Amino acid sequence: MALLKGTLDVLVLKTLSWTPMHAFEITSWLESRSTGRILVDDAALLQALHRLEERKLIVAEWGVTKNARRARYYRLTPAGRNHFRAESERLVDHFDALTSVLESKRS
Amino acid sequence: MTPSDRRPGLRRLFRLPPGTDAAVDADIDEELESLIAARVEHLVSLGMTPDAARAEAARRLGASLDTVREQLHHSAHRRERRMRLDEHLDNLLHDLRYAARGLRRRPAFTAIAVLTLAIGIGATTSIFSAVNVLLIRQLPYAKPDELMKVSLTLPAAPGRNAREDLVWSYPKFTAFRNAQQVFADLTLYASSQYTITSGDVELIRGEQVGATYLRTLGVVPARGRDFERSVDDHPNAERQTIISRAFWERRYNADPDIVGKTVDLDGKPFTIIGITPDRFAGLTGRADLFVPITTRAAEDLSEVDSHEFYAVGRRKAGVTVGAAVSAVSALGKPIHDAFAQSRMGKDWTLRARPLEDARIAPLVRRSLLVLFGAVAFVLLIACVNVANLLLGRASVRRQEIAVRLALGAARARLVRLLLTESLVLAALGGVASLVVALFATRALAEIDPAVMIRAAGGLGGFGAVTFSSIRLDWSALAFTFGITLVVGLIFGLLPALHATRTSLVDNIKGSDTEVRASTARRLLVVGEVALALILLAGSGLMIRSLSKLLSIDTGFDGRNVLTLRLTIPPGGLARDSMPGFYDELLNRLRAVPGVADVALNNCPPLAGGCNGTRFERLDRPEGDPSRDANGGVHWATSTWFAALGVPLKQGRTFAANDRLGAPKVMVINETAARTMFPNESPLGKRISVGQGGFSDGGEVIGVVGNVRQSIDSAAKVEVYIPYLQAPRPGMMIFLRTQHDPISVTADVRRALHEVAPRYPVYDIQPMTARAAAATAQTRFNAILLGLFAATALSLAVIGIYGVMSLAVAARTRELGIRIALGADQRRVRRLIVGEGAALVGIGAAIGLGGALASTRVLQKLLFDLEPSDPITYASILVLLSAAAIVASWLPARRASRVDPVVALRSE
Repeated sequence: MALLKGTLDVLVLKTLSWTPMHAFEITSWLESRSTGRILVDDAALLQALHRLEERKLIVAEWGVTKNARRARYYRLTPAGRNHFRAESERLVDHFDALTSVLESKRS
Repeated sequence: MTPSDRRPGLRRLFRLPPGTDAAVDADIDEELESLIAARVEHLVSLGMTPDAARAEAARRLGASLDTVREQLHHSAHRRERRMRLDEHLDNLLHDLRYAARGLRRRPAFTAIAVLTLAIGIGATTSIFSAVNVLLIRQLPYAKPDELMKVSLTLPAAPGRNAREDLVWSYPKFTAFRNAQQVFADLTLYASSQYTITSGDVELIRGEQVGATYLRTLGVVPARGRDFERSVDDHPNAERQTIISRAFWERRYNADPDIVGKTVDLDGKPFTIIGITPDRFAGLTGRADLFVPITTRAAEDLSEVDSHEFYAVGRRKAGVTVGAAVSAVSALGKPIHDAFAQSRMGKDWTLRARPLEDARIAPLVRRSLLVLFGAVAFVLLIACVNVANLLLGRASVRRQEIAVRLALGAARARLVRLLLTESLVLAALGGVASLVVALFATRALAEIDPAVMIRAAGGLGGFGAVTFSSIRLDWSALAFTFGITLVVGLIFGLLPALHATRTSLVDNIKGSDTEVRASTARRLLVVGEVALALILLAGSGLMIRSLSKLLSIDTGFDGRNVLTLRLTIPPGGLARDSMPGFYDELLNRLRAVPGVADVALNNCPPLAGGCNGTRFERLDRPEGDPSRDANGGVHWATSTWFAALGVPLKQGRTFAANDRLGAPKVMVINETAARTMFPNESPLGKRISVGQGGFSDGGEVIGVVGNVRQSIDSAAKVEVYIPYLQAPRPGMMIFLRTQHDPISVTADVRRALHEVAPRYPVYDIQPMTARAAAATAQTRFNAILLGLFAATALSLAVIGIYGVMSLAVAARTRELGIRIALGADQRRVRRLIVGEGAALVGIGAAIGLGGALASTRVLQKLLFDLEPSDPITYASILVLLSAAAIVASWLPARRASRVDPVVALRSE
């Protein structure tokens, strides 16, 4: 299922709220956490990362992976953390509302 | 390190220069590769074959590798641009805030700097407006560069200068038109005056034009039609007219059906066939309507020597200016020879030049350019002054700047910071300058072109380009904006570079690296003082001249005198009926409440002179001209002398029975009596006058006091002949009133309308206003020079203040030591003021020399005053010294309050 607009950004921020990661780590984490239900195109992910970087919600830095490969590591900024809190609350609230509407029974 | 090693995050955090597009692209490519490689590695570790893993990784990409890469590059570039812009904006906002804070903290400095700039930029903008309108802006006609003016020229001869811009007679023009090959259209025009005799009587200005006049200029009537070309073919053409749009709106309230109606001009009906487009008022710039020259009678147009028309032509396509000029001058000889009977003088020829070159009198052009140069110079001085003030500030802030440099701020960034401050200052000055420019352009627009042209010796130019069209328009605003920017950079860059250049250690120590710069600054002040003194000398002389002019005894009393003109249009009244008409008119006016006396004279005082002629004594043997004289003739009534308070010195004035038919009599002025009749009584002697039917002579019956005909020259020989013995149509009416002459104007108009509803009344003015007009040129010069001098003086004062402040700031330590060693406040003050006085003294000495040398050019403009007038020089020296003391007083007071402890601790 395609992700709702804006949802990917929040998911990426959520991922990064644990620890700085590079792109493949992020997509793998999302995949495993959603038990394979959220598969993100690499292109879309990179676009999202760059978008967030521009908004100064995350910053990037080159680093070295445990496999001795160079990779760009992304880290949440304080602004990014605030943004994530507000947005995730909003999103949860939104899905909550959706759920209660869709699962409501005729009374 | 490779470019990709640079970390954008850190880069931005520390405000390092952003990466290049190539670096950003490399980053993206590497990240993309690393992501794919990581996935392949992961899939292989899960047991996939490398090929299958690569295929799966490609699938997970979402699109082909190239597409993805391109997309990422594209959005990255856009993002980088946006971020760079944001960064610039951030920096700009930061700089602006910093500048605003700095300027607010020093209100006195800011005010002085803004004022200086406002004066400089405002003056430059207003003169630019004038230059733009009068010299630069394209003439408002179609393809104006094709238009040329063709004139007759006459070479210099003994006793006569060469004449460059002579007008044509109709026969000469037609001969030229038929012979020439270079102009597609060739036409002529002349200014003329008409009385509208239908409806409300009104005197208007018009132009007599060739039929193709509008076509030649590329002007198409907005309504109705143009004259047919065939109108040019024969004299006594059908009477038609095209009226100007302004006239249509003013006189006919923009009546949409006006075309086809008639208007009576000088008693003859003309059909209105068209209306010109907006703002077109002919090449004279003041025409209400246009009438074909060929509506005049045949005999009028066949006079070979009746020179009255200007000629304008539009070159044929493909004919260059040079070709037209040489073709026209080549025609000079044949045309000259075809009119061998012409009395114009020998060897006259023809000349064509672009209309553009003829747009304004050369003298006005030259003075405008000189003026422009002068204000540009003033602006430059203003810039230098502000730069000086900024330098003074920079030296106070040197330590702050040094600390910033030491903390790693880039020099370019600091220069930009300081530059922003000066640009903000310039912008404030630019805005304030608009106020100055607004008033100055209004003043310029009100200069009466007639006065200017007279001042310019009537050297041509045409009225379509006038001072009255000077205003602050968009191009002037654009100019101000540009100038402000340039000015901000000029006065900002030097101090900014200076402040950030000097060595770190020196600056933090606060040691003195100012010596060289301060010498230059002192020289600047000396120069400014010298310049101010020269300009003050000029304006002082003009002001003294003006006050002398105003206190001149003009020989008459113009208070409570109302003057007006009433013209009997051609064919309006037979000459013999005029005395009766005027008798009735004067009697009616005398009955107007508030009017004490009424008089006629064709030529008012202070108007520059009257009809000139030769006076010959008839009681001398013929051939002895030693007691004859040249002078002016006045047609006057007997009441005129009393009405204007001109005293009778001998004999009597005219009596009621000095009328047509009675023996001819005249009254002469004292100069005439002294010149023509030294040591004898003129009474009873007979003089022949070359005008008014007095060539057979008249008897001198009285001598009256001298009345000045022009304010700046002594009375000449003047002769008054009785109006009743020589009636003429154009007279000026003088009314002596009991109170303010303006108060009777409405009643006088009404009375005139009752007696003479068909004759136009115009030029109603109190006599005092005419006298004021006579001094207008001197007053204008005095005001203009005065403004320049005031500007120069205030700039000099600001300059002195700036330099002395700097000197005090630089010498804080020395002054501290002096005070610590026991110098009291007065001594320190005297030290600083003395230093200022020395600068002013040197400047004044140089300026004095300059002024004595340069005010000689004012000689012609001065009235009854030597250019080296000691009173003027003494007073400007006092003024300048006072200003200099005030300017150095403030820094001196600051110096005297230096706290030695603070001063020494600052090391």
